[in-house]
Amino acid sequence: MEAKGRFLCFHILCCHCFDVVLSRVFSIFRDMNNFPMDEKNKQIKTAWEELFMFGYIYRKIRYLSLKKKNEHMLENDQQDREYSEPISSDLGKNLEVIKGIFRESSDLAVHEFNFGHERRFKGALIFIDNLVNKEEIHKNILQPLMYDSLLLKNDMDFTKIDTIRKSLISMTDISKETLLSGLLDKLLAGAAILMVDGSKETLAIKSGKRDSRSIEEPGTEVVVRGPREGFIENVNVNIALIRRKIKDTELCVEKLVIGDKSKTDVYIVYIKSVANPKLIEEIRTRLKRIKVEAILESGFIEQYIEDNPYSIFPTVSNSEKPDKVAAKILEGRVAIFVDGTPFVLVVPMVFIESFQSVEDYYARPFFASIIRLIRFLSFIISTLGPAIYVALTVFHQELIPTQLLISIAEGRDRVPFPAILEAFLMLFAFDLLREAGVRLPKPVGQTVGIVGAIVLGQASVEAGLISPIMVIVVSATAIASFAVPAQTDSGTVLRYIYLALAGAAGGFGVMMGLLATLMHLASLRSFGTPYLWPVAPLDLSGLKDVFIRMPLWTMSERPKAIIWSNRDSYNQSQDLMPSPYRNDNNDSNQREQGRND
Amino acid sequence: MIKKNSFLIIKLIICFSMCISLSGCSGAREINDLEIVIGMGVDKDKDTGDILLTAQVVKKDAAVGGAGNGGGGGGDGKSFWNVSSNGKSIFDAVRQITHKTGNRLFISHNQVVIFGNDIAEEGLQEYIDFFLRAHEMRPTTMILIAEKKASEVLDAKPETEKYPAMNIAKLVETSGFTSHFFEVNMKDFASCMMSGTTASLAPSVSIVQEKDNKDIYVAGMVVFKNGKMVGKMNHDEVRGLLWVLGKVKSGVIIVPSPNKQGKAILEIVKAKSKVKPEMKDGRIVMNISIKEESSLSEQTTTENLATDKALEKLQEASAEVIRQEIMAAFNKSRELKADIFGFGEMIHKKYHKEWKTIEDKWDEIYQTIELKIEVDSKIIKTDLLKKPVSPIKKEK
Repeated sequence: MEAKGRFLCFHILCCHCFDVVLSRVFSIFRDMNNFPMDEKNKQIKTAWEELFMFGYIYRKIRYLSLKKKNEHMLENDQQDREYSEPISSDLGKNLEVIKGIFRESSDLAVHEFNFGHERRFKGALIFIDNLVNKEEIHKNILQPLMYDSLLLKNDMDFTKIDTIRKSLISMTDISKETLLSGLLDKLLAGAAILMVDGSKETLAIKSGKRDSRSIEEPGTEVVVRGPREGFIENVNVNIALIRRKIKDTELCVEKLVIGDKSKTDVYIVYIKSVANPKLIEEIRTRLKRIKVEAILESGFIEQYIEDNPYSIFPTVSNSEKPDKVAAKILEGRVAIFVDGTPFVLVVPMVFIESFQSVEDYYARPFFASIIRLIRFLSFIISTLGPAIYVALTVFHQELIPTQLLISIAEGRDRVPFPAILEAFLMLFAFDLLREAGVRLPKPVGQTVGIVGAIVLGQASVEAGLISPIMVIVVSATAIASFAVPAQTDSGTVLRYIYLALAGAAGGFGVMMGLLATLMHLASLRSFGTPYLWPVAPLDLSGLKDVFIRMPLWTMSERPKAIIWSNRDSYNQSQDLMPSPYRNDNNDSNQREQGRND
Repeated sequence: MIKKNSFLIIKLIICFSMCISLSGCSGAREINDLEIVIGMGVDKDKDTGDILLTAQVVKKDAAVGGAGNGGGGGGDGKSFWNVSSNGKSIFDAVRQITHKTGNRLFISHNQVVIFGNDIAEEGLQEYIDFFLRAHEMRPTTMILIAEKKASEVLDAKPETEKYPAMNIAKLVETSGFTSHFFEVNMKDFASCMMSGTTASLAPSVSIVQEKDNKDIYVAGMVVFKNGKMVGKMNHDEVRGLLWVLGKVKSGVIIVPSPNKQGKAILEIVKAKSKVKPEMKDGRIVMNISIKEESSLSEQTTTENLATDKALEKLQEASAEVIRQEIMAAFNKSRELKADIFGFGEMIHKKYHKEWKTIEDKWDEIYQTIELKIEVDSKIIKTDLLKKPVSPIKKEK
């Protein structure tokens, strides 16, 4: 009796503590995404201090870490300062400096030559092997300089670099460099550097083509109807693909270079008259804040500029398809092109976008609407399927129809594991198979798939390790998870979380998980746009393209939450509903003309 | 900043994992550890006076073995197990069954509760309490009364269904085809019992021996007064009751054809009823008006019934049949002194002041009630045939 009382006291105490903790947590949740930043920090900090009362120690650790960071940054700055000196007029000295910088790297080609009348002038061409097109250089730079210049009159002063550029070199992509750092940047980007003795200026001549893949259909976004082209690794080609879709002078392409070592070209692409200027400014500042050694893929950029790095939901969308990106740019979004990857980032992203596919707009609206509803359903199945199965069979057997319960019970009769373990095993096996299938070379990957299907689907059921209904649930989940590619990552995480909650607390746990997810989703922002727009906050005109896809001629407004500044702008005439006999002046005129002809 | 957030995340994870572990797995029960009960029978042990509870439990390995062996079901060919136990009360017996099953009984999916005849005669009052009180029980569980012993009814293995209890539930659910009896569940039964004047009913099941197989047959309804069985109503009487209650869904009315040479069979399509109690100088008159629509679905004469004249006669005849059925039910209820129609409640609602004076002597007053029955019967279609299949006679 006494023990029981004590336990009760303990229990009440626990509950109370938990209550306090929970209310704190929720207050944090609430304020997590509120602007301004300072207030947010303060909120978290105070909550943290109150919660564990380790404020002092925490501040100390923070101070030390910041100090270390500062020292580190100061060191880095000194390194950068080295090459910011001007180029001297002495060619030999310059060459020595450059060779010194490259530490006699074997792919650095330095070609010295004499040219001009009676070969009075000394020049040098520096480039990195394989980054330039040698044939073009021979034909358009060396040949004119070394042979054609012999024939010119002797009064031409080739120490003035402009003279060379204007009269001798027959190439277009030429820039003048006076600083060593600029020269090195160009050299590394694939330009040939022309230096002339006696001149403080050099010419950086870009030549030739980059080796790149041809334009193919992207593997990640295959369509039945629609353009088959996809982006490639060469960013210039990618931007050209967009230019081909949007032939408008308002289309702006801003260039940034990010990465101390990789010096990756990053382009911000948008339509000036449509996109929100504040959004562009925000993207610019966020991109400029990235101080890293290398940007190898657009995923790097994504992770450095996203709004909520601790969220499992992506707030930056990516695509390999020019038509998709062009459509988003036309809506007022901003695309970020990164050199070296076919994946182009687009911001801001809303949750609903994950359920939209380019084909929805190419197909007629009825089928597109059904497919979209199926996508929503499949997302629910893929995240909640195993969780609901476990919750129902372990906690709420009375909710299952009697006949179904009997068949579930019959199927589970020989299974030695609890349902939650069974579900975890199957999901783990599925994710394992998927991962193995993706990474392995294609022929081997197929084998893995077949072996997996037989072992998991059949043998395990026949051996009585897994119940057949579990196999159905997991395979339905697996199939459904591929229907919404943009949310596959978050869906997988959610699936395990919900399953754990279902195993611990049944339907109650699942509901708590769903509630937490919803709260989190509602708090998310992507570059100022609410993540759940247009559902929350509700925007009726935006709802035209959410659960069902209305006909194109009804969607004449641009998404309000994305373009703020000119929110009343229309992207098409409002009266576009097609009909065979319309008393429109233009139409009737045309018809009459046709008849007369 | 980054460090701060990472602490926050760790903090949140700790909080949520606490949340999960606090709840534990207290409500969890694996399906393997449950005995799914689909039917229960309550009988009385004559020797000891104890309750004999029979629970029909699903055999879980039946389907797994059966799939390979050609659908016969594993083991002894049965896919169910009737396990029974004695007990001083029903709950006692339910718990005592675990001595035989090893697993706890899971009664959320119980379809039917069958009471033996001896218990029905003794009164259901003391036995029904558990079924209404237990949180796993559903108030929609059907109540049935066995003609003899409840355990025998649960034993009769049906030919097409796998489980007897499911079969019985199905039998009762499809009562709408004839309207000869109706479904009564725990909730209905209890609310009738609590009203005081209204008599409760429950379908009665019996076993009919057909060659080497036992079939379950729903014979009619048992009438209870104050929880005790007082009598039985046959099919027609029950339909008479249903006409008044407006619960007739479908059924067959057989009337003689206008020239008396054969019969016309009508199918009830739609039926509505209105009951208005009227009190005049201490006399109670119940005005019952019934609107019925039917279709001519069979005829056994050569006469063409699809004429205005013939149809009118048929309509009159069918109205008469309905009136007779209602009167049969009413006479039976007077005989049993049981207010099966719920007239008492109706009068209570309309004349709640006067009700107090007549409430105590309702049984006597019930005998003096008059019925005014108006039946509006209509034949709305003659199905696919317009004329009977017979040689055409030339009319003069």
